[in-house]
This record gives sequence, structure tokens and C-alpha cells, in this order.
Amino acid sequence: MTTCEAETPAPHAAEVKLIARERAGIINPMYDCQPAGAQYAGIGIRDCIPLVHGGQGCTMFVRLLFAQHFKENFDVASTSLHEDSAVFGGVKRIEEGVMVLARRYPGLRVIPIITTCSTEVIGDDIEGTIKNCQKALKAEFPEREIHLVPVHTPSFKGSHVSGYAECVNSVIQAIARKSAPSGKLNLFPGWVNPGDVVLLKHYLKEMDIEGTIFMDTEDFDSPMLPTKEIDTHGCTTVEDLRDSANAIASVSLARYEGDAAAKFLKNEFEVPFHPVDTPYGIQNTDKLLRELSRVTGKPIPDSLVRERGIALDAMADLAHMFFANKQVAIFGHPDLVLGLADFCLELEMEPVLLLIGDDKGSQYKKDARIKALKTKAHFDMEIVHNADLWELEKRIKAGLRLDLIMGHSKGRYVAIDANVPMVRVGFPTFDRAGCYRHPAMGYKGAMELAETCANALFAHMEYTRNKEWILNTW
Amino acid sequence: MPMVLLKCDKDIPEREKHIYLKAPNEDTREFLPIANAATIPGTLSERGCAFCGAKLVIGGVLKDTIQMIHGPLGCAYDTWHTKRYPTDNDHFNMKYVWSTDMKESHIVFGGEKRLEQSIHEAFDEMPGIKRMIVYTTCPTALIGDDIRAVVRKVMNERPDVDIFTVECPGFAGVSQSKGHHVLNIGWINDKVATMEKEITSEYTMNFIGDFNIQGDTQLLQTYWDRLGIQVIAHFTGNGTYDDLRCMQQAQLNVVNCARSSGYIANELKKRYGIPRLDIDSWGFNYMAEGIRKICAFFGIEEKGEALIAEEYARWKPKLDWYKARLKGKKMAIWTGGPRLWHWTKSVEDDLGVQVVAMSSKFGHEEDFEKVIARGQEGTYYIDDGNELEFFEILELVKPDVIFTGPRVGELIKKLHIPYVNGHAYHNGPYMGFEGFVNLARDMYNAVHNPIRHLAAIDIRDENPAELPEKIREAA
Amino acid sequence: MMEDKLDDLYGYVQERCLWQFFSRSWDRQENIDGVLGQAEAILSGNPPARGTPMEKLFYVDARTMVDDFRARFPWIRESSPEEVKQLMDGLKSRLVETVITKSTNRELKHHLY
Repeated sequence: MTTCEAETPAPHAAEVKLIARERAGIINPMYDCQPAGAQYAGIGIRDCIPLVHGGQGCTMFVRLLFAQHFKENFDVASTSLHEDSAVFGGVKRIEEGVMVLARRYPGLRVIPIITTCSTEVIGDDIEGTIKNCQKALKAEFPEREIHLVPVHTPSFKGSHVSGYAECVNSVIQAIARKSAPSGKLNLFPGWVNPGDVVLLKHYLKEMDIEGTIFMDTEDFDSPMLPTKEIDTHGCTTVEDLRDSANAIASVSLARYEGDAAAKFLKNEFEVPFHPVDTPYGIQNTDKLLRELSRVTGKPIPDSLVRERGIALDAMADLAHMFFANKQVAIFGHPDLVLGLADFCLELEMEPVLLLIGDDKGSQYKKDARIKALKTKAHFDMEIVHNADLWELEKRIKAGLRLDLIMGHSKGRYVAIDANVPMVRVGFPTFDRAGCYRHPAMGYKGAMELAETCANALFAHMEYTRNKEWILNTW
Repeated sequence: MPMVLLKCDKDIPEREKHIYLKAPNEDTREFLPIANAATIPGTLSERGCAFCGAKLVIGGVLKDTIQMIHGPLGCAYDTWHTKRYPTDNDHFNMKYVWSTDMKESHIVFGGEKRLEQSIHEAFDEMPGIKRMIVYTTCPTALIGDDIRAVVRKVMNERPDVDIFTVECPGFAGVSQSKGHHVLNIGWINDKVATMEKEITSEYTMNFIGDFNIQGDTQLLQTYWDRLGIQVIAHFTGNGTYDDLRCMQQAQLNVVNCARSSGYIANELKKRYGIPRLDIDSWGFNYMAEGIRKICAFFGIEEKGEALIAEEYARWKPKLDWYKARLKGKKMAIWTGGPRLWHWTKSVEDDLGVQVVAMSSKFGHEEDFEKVIARGQEGTYYIDDGNELEFFEILELVKPDVIFTGPRVGELIKKLHIPYVNGHAYHNGPYMGFEGFVNLARDMYNAVHNPIRHLAAIDIRDENPAELPEKIREAA
Repeated sequence: MMEDKLDDLYGYVQERCLWQFFSRSWDRQENIDGVLGQAEAILSGNPPARGTPMEKLFYVDARTMVDDFRARFPWIRESSPEEVKQLMDGLKSRLVETVITKSTNRELKHHLY
């Protein structure tokens, strides 16, 4: 028997485990709470200032978080809940907040009223208060229509992921109205960056499809202008929301962030619902384009075949040379993480650890993408749901070998302390410049993300003097 | 009529009581903005909550302490990665945050068991850490979880740990200020004088109200080391839990941030007879004065003068270089409260900069007495300013630079006004002599940023404004 | 003449001295009495008391202030002990009026810190 043979491991079936965090408490959360996600959805709407019904911190910190991620300011108001409201209820503060916003912001058309843990525990009657507010608004501003949308997002359920879905769904429910068919397509991408929105719009344009993206955040990336105009705002209009009921179909790209609203439109207005796998990586993007083509009857144009080819051409240079057998941990939103696992497999990387999710354990067990990973993976994989970032850190401390970490900036110190290169992807990515501008979705996203991964590995090779000379001739 | 009703406030006229424009021959007997009062809902105020005042500002600074936040995960997530207070033990305080991850069932059935389990887990996961602060949040306060009872039980079971409780939900008070207060008073009641440390110098003091923003505490510590003064406890920059239990041993309390930490200095004076000396740690003139006072207290004036002379020799020429180039620039300060009065005169005296508008998020009327006494005529003094007011004030005063937070900084960037981070600094520390040169440098670099000049140019103009050939000089 | 001098001293203290602005009226009163008492001693050429911690504290604040008074207002060096007493009494009553009796600070009289 040769040495070589002796070292060859016995073949065994790769195991893909889905387990939950076992600890009760969290050390280093991956997500913010529901109201934060609701605020993210709310700022995607044009002429809209969300009003968060809760303590001031529930708004101030989330605005700071958005500013950290986008390097932009977004307007979100608070009802500034205090002790008296905790005792006597806080609905008066909603009424006052709505009227103050309406008076001081004449262009305002939508105010999502976002609850928090405190106001859900107190049990303030949001729907009843909205009726009172509408009467007061009608009396004072008879010519204006301001949509007041109840958004129930207690922080003790779900996370910012479910809060985002809840707010999109609530706003659609409150504003969508049946009228003449629009011939447009609804696209629910989930919680994505402006770079992804730009990419999706590009696909629609290339395919000659008229569509609306909920929420259209393209202008979150806003300019410094000679006129000093401040042009940072969501682009989804009241008309877009109203007309979502009249679309030819809804295509949802995210199970946990987009489906809820699309399903509502199907149930309420019979808008056909087409869920597709979140388009990270080549194959998932293929599925999206095929579905768009199938739903609209529009062919996939040569231009996108070419874009696909350019991405593959770039990725081919990297996969078996640099990425093969590299062990990767991925954390973040479940739709993102599961999509990125596919992306890694396409590049011959081994995503050995996926950290996802909040308290949606039973849903994850049914997730077809997780089932599919069980057949696709040729290596042992752990998927931890209800995870925190300590799950990652303690596995590394216990000896898990990782070549790359993919995730958002809140995990930066895990990577820094373990000296593992890390690629920033998802939300928030405040410790790298300009991430929000680049797509992670689509062919272009896959290509740019692959190149970012490669460059992260290259820089690491250089700083650790680990075969950096390989790149002498590449 | 020196109290000002801005145009944007015509529908919320009560705001007039919060905005003051200082005129000649007036003082705070006649005009003092109402402060520390409830915010009007929907005004887009800058304020945070009481919980963050306790956790993020004071407790979370400690370098050896688990921060257990009893509530849904958001309160932990939001008060993590939002500060720049390093430590000399590799920033344990900035790396971790803990939450009991309250879910609906705990709201219904109570969260005490959840808290108990989370505390044990936290100590088990990090066996080297033996100290903890437990905080309530809005929902756990509303459902009435008895966190003190849980903590007593755990401390009985784990004799090697010590835990402090802060019962300060976000809805308490009107701003983060309430949280400062609750933590201060709680600490003196529960923890001060529960430990004694070795005294290594005949001169001992506590340094109170400095949170080691970008190394402030560590920079000032080099002065105290050179002067041979033992700092019993830093409240709380780069500080440890156990040092703070020994605060009763100090001969003198030196207070920088009187807003966040004046309470504990007052109580230490009342209960232990330790005198309270308030100083300003930002600015040459002020820092030198503070050092002189501290040294005079201990009778080591010569040492103090030697240190000041050394520091002046090293840093004053650099400061003066910036002063020559910043003279006459107009500055606005939109921060928490105390930095208004710490900075308005120091930038004027040390840098020749005129402060033209100041807004405080959580200052009290005491802070406005201080800042109006120190500040200039023709300057706006604003309590709890909101976004539309900021726009209007900017039009009125046209500052060259604003010291404020990053979100507001992003907003005013669109108006071609540079910002310097007035909370976490751009490239600090800013305290002490070296620190104030850093502040001056950051202000100079901000004001001379070519980008904002470029932003003003419309490329379609036939005769576009010319940029000066040389925008800035080598420092 | 006395009023002009008082204006100078009062202006200085308002602008420079944090001890007049402690959180509660009794602390403000204690500081004003303590610091100005020590200042009077120093300006009159009497040795200031430095026995207790509080006396030491008032001494360091007074000493800094007096040094600045002497640098900024040369006339104070010529003042007789009687004049010094008059000045300090006048300054004290102005400060008490501004920061205590006529202050609209709503927290001054709160019995707890």
C-alpha cells in the first residue's frame, strides 16, 4: 500500500445538516429587529416618511444603520413614546405625529405606521387610530390623500427580514386597487441593494418587459448636484403600489422577503404568482430569465446571452485555479445565503457553513433550496438557523478551517481575529466603500462577486506570504 | 424677541421656546431654551432612547464586561458597531453584544427564565469574563420581569461573578439622558465601595465622563502617568468594572462630561466627601487650565507646569499653523449637549473659529446656561433640533463646517457643506493637546476638501466658477 | 467705576468657570461662596485655607481665576483689601442672581441628583 493510498479518505456520503442555535441567548446578532426591516421597506417608497410607533431609539439607530450602509440620509419619524404612553397608551402620539408630518411635509403621500415591541405590548389600536387620523386629515387637508398604513412589526417576532416582508405586504394591501390591466410585471426582489435594482431594471429593459420593482431603491445612490438638491428617496410611487393589483404577474425572487406581498396579490386580485430562486449565481439567474420569458412571452435577447458569457468567461479563470476546495462560511439573510451557496458551488468552492435566519425553523425545513443542497453538496455542510455570529466564531475557535467568509459588516471582527479573508455582501456593508452600488444578483453580480472573492484571497496571500508568487505570472 | 420661531415651525409653535438667538446685553436670566422636555412626535428629532444612554454611552464602554440586554435582539444589534471607543485589551467591548432574544412566548409567560439561561450561557461561553451588566428594555420593563431577582439567583450560584442591573427601558425619560442618570445612580447605590484596590500613589483621582472616543482616555492617561497621579477609575473610557467599584478611594473627582456623569460625581461628593472638579479636556487653553487645577489640588504645580510646557512646545506650533488657516471660518455644532459648551470657546480661542449655530440632542437647561454664557452673540442655540430646522438654520448662518453625526453629515454633504464627526471623531483622539491638533487638522482637511468645490460647478455653464489653483497647503 | 470692574469680573466668570453651573442650587451656592472666599483671601494677601478637600478644591479654582484676573485686569493688583471684599461681594451677588435666584433652570431645586 502506498502512502498516497493510505491518505485517501474512505468515500462517504456528504452530510448536509440543518440545525438550530441551541443557546437561548444571542451573542452578536446577525439581524436587527422587525421594525428596522419595516423602515427599510418604507424608505423605498416615494413621498413617504415612515412613522415608527415606539421609543426614539427604534428610529434613531435604524436611520444611523441606513446611513452607515448607504452613506446617505433617510427620513424616518418617531412617535417618541414615553412613560405616560406606556401607562395610558400611545395612540395620541400617533395622531399628533401624523398631523405634524402632514403639516410640515406638504408633498407627503404615504405614512406607514410601524409598531414596535413596546407598542404591541401596550396594545395600541393602530387601525382605529388610523381612522381617526384620516378624519382629521380630511378636515384639515381636504385636497390631499395621505395613505396611512398599519404595519405590525413587534420586535419579539422574526427579525428585520420578516419586518421587511411585513411592511411591503402591508403597504401593498393598503394601497393596491383593481382597475384596468396594466400589462406590467411586478417584481419583488426582496431586501436588495440599489445595484441589484439597477441590474433587474436592465434585464427588464433588455427583454422589453414593462415592470415595476417593489421597492425601487435605485435613487438611494444619489448625487451631489450644483443645485444642492437632495434627491435621496425611494422610487416606488403610490401609483406603482396601486397598480400592482393590475399586473400580468408577480415574480418574487425571495421566499422570506418577497413572497408574502406577491401571494396577497394572487389571493386578492388574481395576479399570477411566480416564485423563482433568488438569482445569485449563474443558474439561478438563468431560472429568473427563463421565468421572465415564460411569463411574458418575450424572448431572452442576445445581449443577455452575451452578458452571461462574459460572466462565465471571467469566472472560468478563477474557479478551478483559485476557488476549488476552498471552504467558505456564509451568513446573512436566508434568501441571500442560500443563493450564495449555489454561487459557491458553481465556482467549485465548498460552502461548509451557512448561518441563516430567525425563528422560522419550520419554514426552513420545507425550503426546497435547502433540500436541493443536500443532493448538490459533495462535502459536509452545516446549516444553522436561528443563528447568531457566535455560531461562526466558536466553530472557528474550535478548529473549523475556513478560506473565506462571505457576509455583512457586523461579522467583521470574526474574520479579522481569525485572519480569514472576508467578502462583504448583504446588509449592512458599512466597512467597505460602495458595496451597495454593485449588484450581487444576476450574471454581472456573480462575476463581480467572484472577482471580489478572488481579490480578497489574493490580498490575503500577499499579506500572509502564502504562495503570493503564484500571482507572478497569472 | 430673541427666542426664535422658525418658518418651518409655524405648525409647531411650541418650538419657539427651544431656539434662542443670542443678542447683545442678554443673559440666561431672561432667555434660556427649554430643554430635556418631551419631543413632539413626527418632528424627525435626532434623539435616541434612555436604554442607549445607559448601554451604548456608559456601560458598554467597559472593557471586561458582558453587556446582557434583556429584550428582543434589535436593542443589542443597534447598540453595537455604532461607537468608536477602543480599549487596550483588543476592543472586547466593541466586538460583542448579548441579547436574551425575547420572543412572543416570553412576552406572554415572562422572560426571567430566558434571562437566567442567557446569563449562564454567556459566562459559560466566555469563561475568562466574570463581570456583567444586565439591562431591561421596553418590553421586559412593560411585562415586569424582575431582573434583580434573577441576577441575585445567578450570583448565588456563581460566586466568582458580579453583575450590575440597569433598569432603564427606552421609553423612560425624554432622551438618552435618562439612561445616563439611571446608570450613574444605580452604580453608586449598588457597586461603589464594594471593592478596594491597591493605592500606588499619594495622589489619586477618578476621571469621570470621558469614554475613550478614539483613544481620548488613553492619551490623557499619559499625562496622569507623567504627573504620578493614580487614576482609581475611569468612568468609563477604557475602564474596568472592578475599578469602578473602588471609586470611593479617590481624593478627587475630575469631571469632563458633566451631562452624562455629573450625577455620580455629585453622589461621590455627598456620600464620601470627595470634591468634584469640572474641567474641559478639549482645547489647549482649557486642557492646560485643567492640568493646573489638578496639580494645584495635589500640590504638584511644578510638575504640571513642566508637562504643559513640554506639550506646548511640541504641539502649539502645529495648532498655530492650523489657526492661521482656519481663522474666521464658521462652524456649527450639532451633537449631544456638552460638546457645545466644551467646544464653542476653545475653537474660538485656539483656532479663531466662530461657532454660529449649536444644537443639542439631550442637553439640559444647565447645559444651555453654560453654552450661552460662553458662546457668541448672533449664534443660534437650539434644543432638540429637527431636520427642517437644520435646513433653515443653515440658510441663516451658512457654516463652513459642521461637527455632527454621520447621518446628518451625509445629508449636508448634498448642500456642499463638509462635516466632521462630532461624536466619534474623524481621526482622533481630540482631547488633550495632541488631540486638539487632530481636531484642527480634521477641520482644515474638511474645509479644504476639493470635492465640495467641484460639486458647485455645473459643467454646462459657459463660464464655470474656477477652482483656486491651490486649494490646500502641506500641513 | 466699581460697576465697570464688576462687569469685567462677572464676564470672566460667566465665560470661564464651570463651578458656577453645577446641577443644583446648593452646589452652586457652595461653589460661589467657596471659590470667591478663597479668591478674596488670595487677592488680599491672606493665606487661603487648604486643610480639607473642599478647601483645596476651592483654592485651585480660585487660584486659576485670580491668576487670570491679574493678567486680564491689571487694576485688580492695585485694589485694597476693602475694595477686594467689595468686589467679591458684588460678584457673588451677581452670580447668585444669574445662576440661582433668577435662573429659570427647572432642575436647580430638585432635591435629588
